[in-house]
Amino acid sequence: MDRASRRFTWLYAKSQLKLKYRYTALGFLWNLLEPGLFLGVLSFVFSVVNRMRISDYAVFLFSALVPWRYFEKVVTTSMDSIVQGDWLMKKLPVSPFALPLTRWIVASAEFGFSFLVVFLLFAVLKTQWTIHCLILPLSAIPWSLLGLGLGLVFAALFTFFRDIRPVVQIGLMLAFFTAPILFKPDLFTEHTIQRSMIVWHPVTYLAALFQKPLYDGAWPSVLDWSVSFGVAAVSLLAGVLLVKRSRAQFYFYL
Amino acid sequence: MNRLLMRVLRPRPMLGPHVFRLDNVSVGFRRNAIEERSLKHALAALVRDRRQPLHQALDDVSLSIRRGEHVGVIGRNGAGKSTLLRVLARVITPQSGRVFVDSTVHVVPLLELGIGFQADLSGVENVHLAGALMGYSYEDIAGKMADIVEFAELDGFIHEPVKNYSSGMYARLAFALATDVEPEVLLVDEVFGVGDEFFMEKCVARMHRLMAAGTTTVFVSHNLDFLIGQCDRLVWLDEGRIVADGPAPAVAKAYRAARGTS
Repeated sequence: MDRASRRFTWLYAKSQLKLKYRYTALGFLWNLLEPGLFLGVLSFVFSVVNRMRISDYAVFLFSALVPWRYFEKVVTTSMDSIVQGDWLMKKLPVSPFALPLTRWIVASAEFGFSFLVVFLLFAVLKTQWTIHCLILPLSAIPWSLLGLGLGLVFAALFTFFRDIRPVVQIGLMLAFFTAPILFKPDLFTEHTIQRSMIVWHPVTYLAALFQKPLYDGAWPSVLDWSVSFGVAAVSLLAGVLLVKRSRAQFYFYL
Repeated sequence: MNRLLMRVLRPRPMLGPHVFRLDNVSVGFRRNAIEERSLKHALAALVRDRRQPLHQALDDVSLSIRRGEHVGVIGRNGAGKSTLLRVLARVITPQSGRVFVDSTVHVVPLLELGIGFQADLSGVENVHLAGALMGYSYEDIAGKMADIVEFAELDGFIHEPVKNYSSGMYARLAFALATDVEPEVLLVDEVFGVGDEFFMEKCVARMHRLMAAGTTTVFVSHNLDFLIGQCDRLVWLDEGRIVADGPAPAVAKAYRAARGTS
């Protein structure tokens, strides 16, 4: 990406964040309240399903749900970024990476705000804090890179095939409900299809990067790190290559 | 691997005094492309190729533009003028042919006034944002801000959101930004039709100053008199092909004769 596109990406992302909160006194607060309410309702409902104390379940749920919502937002908002950026892509030689990257920066900043909410809630709900929480910034990296990679892949595909949006949304929904985010991985007994599904689900390992330090008070395993960074690297590579290969075609499909 | 080696080893052409060189460039747009932007269509095309034929916006165009030259591009609507400008600006990658642009010069495409402007941002914020798109640093723009505001006559309004500007104020700010920083190459696509007569005069005077200072300019316009006055060379396009390329008065005369307006 050239220097002009890099500078634009940064300024554009900053301006998007600024505009989002400029005219609303409750803007920043709403950004905290919205995930707070969402998490509150979910924890109330699913603590019953999981037969856990609500405070205990809330800590488990929030730890993986917040990064999932960040990942989902990066993917869905990046998907139409090139198409919605036709006002720019058809007028200036800006890098096609600039627009998905802008969405990624905005979502990352909002993820930071969301984690503020989580820590405020955890201050009330969590009884014991351990040193393992210090690893969380590193845990966010594979989630972020996976989101960016898939965001780039879908941004390129959506430019050519405008009807892939529902396919992507269903795919994300399936991934969410089959991963151990709402339920604990040990809910299913050994040698069942559900258990195998969890073992082979890449989100299981990404979720563990947050669940283990925050809920279990433990370090994520080598397998958790390897699978998470491996999946993120592959998706990022695929996204970068796909956008690079198809960039010359974008103009004709915008 | 072979393709990579070919790219590395392929000799780069010497552009010499030229800023742009186009060799046999063709750009085609598929008709009814909207229908083709779906997975359903792509899958159907695997069985039977139902793609519409290409409309050639540029057809085997070869052209060179020297440093400091002032070139006007003329032709009827749909002749390929704007497509040519977008190829020079590297917004469009042609399907065939080769485009060489001197990478050492700073090219500013002015294909529309106010590209990159965000309605809710202030004039100052928009100048920085659009300036970044044109390849200028924050410091470049900050250093020129007073001149930009003065030329655009927006003192007192520059911190207002541009959505509150009149179309004239908007155009003045965008033009001031694009030209105040003195680009080495300016590609202009019919942007003088906005604003009042006084603003037009200011824009033309600013353009004269830039051109006299050595800025290479390529204008696309339907205003033939304006082009004859500003350009030393005209390129006449019709249906994507170059009909004539030469001194402005001679090409303009031939163009007018062909249209029966001489």
